[in-house]
Amino acid sequence: MPIAEQGYAHWTGTFVERRLPWWPVTRLGIRLAFKRKFFKFAFAFSFLPAFIFLAGIYISERMQDFQFMVRGRQSVNFLNINPAFFRSYFTADALLFIMVMLMVLAGAGLIADDLKQNALQLYFARPLRKRDYIAGKLFTAFFFLLSLTLVPGLLFILFKLIFAGSFKLLVDFPWLPLSVIGYSFALTLFLSLYTLLVSSLSRNRRYTAILIFVIYILSDVFFGIFYGIFRNPYFSLLSIKSNLQQMGAAIFGVAPRYNIPWVYSFLVLAAIGTASGFILKNKVRGVEVIR
Amino acid sequence: MNIELQNIRFSYGSIKALDGVDLMLGAGACGLLGPNGAGKSTLLRILLGFLKPADGEGTVLGYDIRHEPFAIRRLVGYMPEDDCLIPGMDAVTFTAYFGELSGMPRQEAMKRAHDVLFYVGLGESRYRMLETYSAGMKQRLKMAQALVHDPKLLFLDEPTSNLDPQGRVEVLDLIKDISSKKDINVLVSSHILGDIEATCSHVVILNKGQVAAQGEIEALKAVTYSLYELRIKGSGDGFIRALEGQGCRIEPTEDGLLKIYMPPGLPRTALFTTAERERVQIRYFVKSRTSLEDLFAKTVGVD
Repeated sequence: MPIAEQGYAHWTGTFVERRLPWWPVTRLGIRLAFKRKFFKFAFAFSFLPAFIFLAGIYISERMQDFQFMVRGRQSVNFLNINPAFFRSYFTADALLFIMVMLMVLAGAGLIADDLKQNALQLYFARPLRKRDYIAGKLFTAFFFLLSLTLVPGLLFILFKLIFAGSFKLLVDFPWLPLSVIGYSFALTLFLSLYTLLVSSLSRNRRYTAILIFVIYILSDVFFGIFYGIFRNPYFSLLSIKSNLQQMGAAIFGVAPRYNIPWVYSFLVLAAIGTASGFILKNKVRGVEVIR
Repeated sequence: MNIELQNIRFSYGSIKALDGVDLMLGAGACGLLGPNGAGKSTLLRILLGFLKPADGEGTVLGYDIRHEPFAIRRLVGYMPEDDCLIPGMDAVTFTAYFGELSGMPRQEAMKRAHDVLFYVGLGESRYRMLETYSAGMKQRLKMAQALVHDPKLLFLDEPTSNLDPQGRVEVLDLIKDISSKKDINVLVSSHILGDIEATCSHVVILNKGQVAAQGEIEALKAVTYSLYELRIKGSGDGFIRALEGQGCRIEPTEDGLLKIYMPPGLPRTALFTTAERERVQIRYFVKSRTSLEDLFAKTVGVD
């Protein structure tokens, strides 16, 4: 087609100052994730644990109808809807694994793709601050992770209240909604920063996807090896998963799995998160400056 | 003035990229010329606020390059040299996205993206995925994203790289159209002298981080030096040495001519008196029309 076929007209509109300048970046990130092959299926599948726990809440209020399922004390305990029930959901190995896999699919390329395609200079040739770009990418990960943590957590409380027809849960544990919100955000923030950190380390989405998965798994494998040899619970600090579980137990006011202060786990996670912030600040820039 | 810079300095470690650059660029199309490593890209990056100069002051469209980079970026369009795209998008979404990031309302950015893509010649393929675009189409797409927010000033970094001859001509036509009829000022950074000569009325020649020459191309070519082409008969060694002794620079050409750059103040009769003294015959003599290539060679000091 010949150039200038349609001519060129000046734009007569006015620029707007967005209150959330990162929002277009987040929206695009979410949209592109859903365009990826199998992602819709994977995202839908990731709600399976939430449905199972939701079913548990329903059953807990209809025990007389489900007596055939209760064969021992353990089952009854599991169906006690208390902070331990919520802790079980939020720190379940399966849920954490699913969240990491979701980040492998949706988060690995968040920065790596822009680095590979030299798109950062296009972003920063716009009136977009570095913090807005990073926030845009961070909130993309937030969207997926919060939909697996905060949304189900609050729905669990809501459905428990509806099924029970009373506010007993909130009367007994008034801080539970805050725990759900606090842990959801802490878990989401950590995993989002972890994902962006790894995504910024390479221009190749496949490498970053593999790294996100392997670092998570290997940290737990090393913990298992050292714990098996030395029987020292402090080796749980090596494991991302164990640190998240320790922090979850503390926030829900439940006894932690390993007998070490939860603050140590929190500090390990905070250190990784802070390091991620610093690395991102240096890796994300409009031009590659080699001095 | 669109761009005013005073004494801009920038170093990459111990390497001086820009060393006291002073610039005054007005309306129209201006070329930024220089050999590799001259500091062209660094200058563009400083103008966009990607890099902060170590020293010096400057404004782009009246905004301070140190303190108001976001105001500058809103009014400036930038077409980078490298291929840049976001995989998984079509051209309309891509172009509208960057319009939105520039501060345009979403719907207007989308409408504008369609218009601009037609303008750069991608109207028919605007819904194709960017990964399937050819090099020439990617080049036009970069132009579209630079134009989508209707900038007052357009920075084009090597706009014809990776293009076939036909594509190159079309993009050069587009640049000429933008700068001459659309009231958008253009700064073209290129190492292809023909591109600058074809599109720009002004030029800035950078060399080793300093401005070697700047001004209107025609004026620079006219006043800086005189260029003659001769063909001689006889031993030319003494003739060449004698002319070089008088300050001339001499370049033999492939077809047996001598291109002689005369310094200001030396009359052309000096060529004939020198030839007579050195006993060579001048068989061909013509005042050559100086090209930008000649100006560049003279200014930068390369052949």
